Amino acid sequence: MEYEPILPLRAIVFQILFLIVAVAIEAGILRQRLRLGFQTSVQYAAVTNLAAVVVGWIAFLVIEPLATANIKQQIINYILFNQLLPDGWSTQLGAVLLATGLVAFFATFFIKAKGLEYFLRSDDGWKQLAVKKPRKLTRDERYSRARGGFMEARQSTGPDFTDTVIQANAASSTAILLLILLRTVLEAWAV
Amino acid sequence: MQDIFLGLREDFKTVFWPKQYFAWQTLLLLSLFSLVVAALLESINGETTRPVDLLTSLSWIFFTLAVWWALAETKPIKVWDFSLSPWITGIVLCLFLFRPWTDTRFRLAFSCWPLISTGIKALPHFVNWELKWTLPKPAIQKMLISVTLVNLLLTSWIVFYFRVQDWVSNYPTLLARSLDNSAFVYDIGQDRERRSSQGVPLLENMAEAIALEIEGQPWYQAERWLYTRQERLESIAQKAFDNLDASEEQLFWRVNIQEPREFGEGYLLDMKATWAGPIQAQTGLYTTKTCKIVPTSEPRDVPTRENEPPPTTQITSVDCGERATDQWEIPAI
Repeated sequence: MEYEPILPLRAIVFQILFLIVAVAIEAGILRQRLRLGFQTSVQYAAVTNLAAVVVGWIAFLVIEPLATANIKQQIINYILFNQLLPDGWSTQLGAVLLATGLVAFFATFFIKAKGLEYFLRSDDGWKQLAVKKPRKLTRDERYSRARGGFMEARQSTGPDFTDTVIQANAASSTAILLLILLRTVLEAWAV
Repeated sequence: MQDIFLGLREDFKTVFWPKQYFAWQTLLLLSLFSLVVAALLESINGETTRPVDLLTSLSWIFFTLAVWWALAETKPIKVWDFSLSPWITGIVLCLFLFRPWTDTRFRLAFSCWPLISTGIKALPHFVNWELKWTLPKPAIQKMLISVTLVNLLLTSWIVFYFRVQDWVSNYPTLLARSLDNSAFVYDIGQDRERRSSQGVPLLENMAEAIALEIEGQPWYQAERWLYTRQERLESIAQKAFDNLDASEEQLFWRVNIQEPREFGEGYLLDMKATWAGPIQAQTGLYTTKTCKIVPTSEPRDVPTRENEPPPTTQITSVDCGERATDQWEIPAI
């Protein structure tokens, strides 16, 4: 077979850029909310994001040949000609796009949560985190809770692990989406 | 001059001749030795036999091990303290394992190369010198996980590259316009001459088939053919699609044939093939072709009386003009 000199160089550049952005954002959030060290949080964020990216690639490479002709056409259109939905929205395509986005978000969240848990366990950070959670209430707090039954008292028991991961994931996804949007806007503006 | 050669020989000897038996140079020599023996055996027997296969395999194995050992000893190539030796050994091992001389094997070898190299890098951490299986320390485990993930990413990029190649070879019309807008691929050869789309050969094939069916037929046959053309044209179009270089493109072409227009005594048949597949934004690609189908008079081959014009018969002639070209709704760049 003859090979055309068409290389996925732009995909590689954007992938590295987005990975750096995601790692920077997520490491910041992990450091702040889980009180991990600077280097540790960068390391964790990098490895979990890499894992998420790899799973995403495998999913794409497996699903693409199985897709219907219409979906395949949309995929080629987006990848080679940067056109998302050139024929406008249709209910089916909109649903596919929405489902893909949702699945991608929750799958990356799941991978990041599990990966982080694995790393924290192997570094003995998990126990510290678990110990931190049911923080011992002071006498005054117990007193006020018994009197008023305020819910705030329970919410202030330190940042939750799952909460942190979902927040980090949402922040990085939003940042990447904004970057993609920015590129589209700049391109439209340049033309 | 002679000194230079002597010096070279000395250098060669110091690098490639083993100073002790337990050295990578020994393996290299073993590999060469097996190769030479295999070549001799093959030249004696004149055919590839099992011992020859065995010896060449042994030669490959010795060579792979020699490269591995040599690189482990010298560590010549490093990127930020990170040795690239496993990836070089990986190339040799992939060449041995996959023999990538055919396309599918080449793809397999290239796609597996990062993973096999990762395996080569990880192996010494799992097996110690007494060949006992051990789990590496947590720090090393983490390093290996990161390396594996990065190499999986490399593999994904390589597979993606082959996927894009499949697309452009299955649907070559994709390359009729530039891929400049893409956020994924970069076309290094974008200055090359743009080939015409497959719409051109498609319509040419159809015109040829039409001419073949009615050219030279009596005119009433052609009129009947034009009257009941739908069915014939469908099968002609199908055959034209099947004869394309990349017949999978059928998915993306819409062939439209208008009602024949009257033209003198005959008819004009307009054919239009429109690309409905992926293409650059705000661009339309189509090809058109018009076939002139007219009756011509030919003298009939019957005996005639003198001073009388010979009786004629109406024969169909088909003229489809010059080769079609691609047409764009906005001019091609």
